[in-house]
Amino acid sequence: MKVVQDNLPLLLSGLGITAQLGALALLMALAAGTLVGVVRVLPVPGLPWLGAAYVEFFRNSPLLVQMFIWFFGLPTIGISLPPFWAAVTALGIYTSAFVAEVVRAGIQAVSRGHIEAARSMGLSYLQTLRHVVLPQAFSITIPPLGNLSIALAKNTSIASAIAVGDLLYQGELINARTFATYPVFLTVMALYLVVTVPMSWGVNLLEGRLVAYRR
Amino acid sequence: MNFDHLIDPKLWAPLFDLTDPTHAQASWRFLGRGLLLTLQITVIAATASLAFGTVLALLRLTRNPVIHYPALVLIEGVRALPVLFIIFFTWAAMLSFRDLALWVPATIGLTIYTSAVTAEIIRAGISSIDRGQLEASRALGLSYPVAMRNVILPQALRRMVPPLISQLITLLKDTSLASIIGLAEFFQQGRTLYNFWGNPLQTLLTVALVYMLINTALSRVSARLEEGRQRREKTRVQTRETVAPA
Repeated sequence: MKVVQDNLPLLLSGLGITAQLGALALLMALAAGTLVGVVRVLPVPGLPWLGAAYVEFFRNSPLLVQMFIWFFGLPTIGISLPPFWAAVTALGIYTSAFVAEVVRAGIQAVSRGHIEAARSMGLSYLQTLRHVVLPQAFSITIPPLGNLSIALAKNTSIASAIAVGDLLYQGELINARTFATYPVFLTVMALYLVVTVPMSWGVNLLEGRLVAYRR
Repeated sequence: MNFDHLIDPKLWAPLFDLTDPTHAQASWRFLGRGLLLTLQITVIAATASLAFGTVLALLRLTRNPVIHYPALVLIEGVRALPVLFIIFFTWAAMLSFRDLALWVPATIGLTIYTSAVTAEIIRAGISSIDRGQLEASRALGLSYPVAMRNVILPQALRRMVPPLISQLITLLKDTSLASIIGLAEFFQQGRTLYNFWGNPLQTLLTVALVYMLINTALSRVSARLEEGRQRREKTRVQTRETVAPA
């Protein structure tokens, strides 16, 4: 137990890195994912297919492989990212593929009648998207996006593989130094639970509120 | 940005040189050993998770609070943890065993996590079956276990095929995490290979592509099965797009 007390600041700093990594990656994922999701429903020939290829590649290949590509592969073509930013980018792009699918499903769930009414009132396709489709799609996409955020928070642990000082990495280091496996890892486990369990309660609450609203 | 390294044919040769395939054959045989291990682990973990997951789901569904609440806490607790953490913890806890084969903690860790997620999928599936089915079975004199096994579970499992296959895809991707404890699965073999040949970008892209091809095939199978099921049962169950994002 003393081991945990002495090393708690290290673990908490790891948690801080995890939080920063997660927040930045989430922003990137939401931005890139919404873009790709919208691209997949545009009537421009060829674009939806490109979007589909993007989603299939980044969704179906492991995050660890993607992190290695961004951190070890890119320097060979001249782009050298520090580990933290390689991790943010990899996590962001990986999650954006899932966000894109959620956004696409949300847009396609808006009933055709609304779109047809807006178009027949003279709104352009982009205006319809902006004023009619996206606001409605928004409430449909929130619960799945909440679940993706929780998954993202957990996936930050993979950054430890490219030596980013996140919570799991600090735990591994302390374990290697002190061999107090159970106290250290049980503390790490408690810290992860403190982050993800309230997040999932929040998503459940949100889901409940939104369903009532949409009725 | 300097793309010379990316298009240099000498760096693609160890994997794809068709004119002198000796190196390529050796490379792919090396990768193939890793891929075999990856697939073996996936199959074992998937089967075990399906079994444990069903048991956990049924435990969570009982009304007996002594069983229900511990099961709930176990499932939600394990689901809330990162897979990598679970694999690492399992490995660190098993280090005291001599002659520890690395695939054992890897497979156990993956099974623990996937069982919890599978339990949730199966529970949702069972809950989505109309109460009327259970009531009718009981009214016909079937006991709860018999009704579960012969009436409810068959229907529930058929509905849960897409999310289960989605979780299988996630499981396949998660096997790559075992490389962090040193297991020589597909991704780890790729790392060893590119450290030998000096072509990280080419090898990593190829490895990613192979994972992608397998998983895309699995999701096509899932879509085909779901199409067939909906046509046969003439129903469209409103399941939320359960994409397993881990």
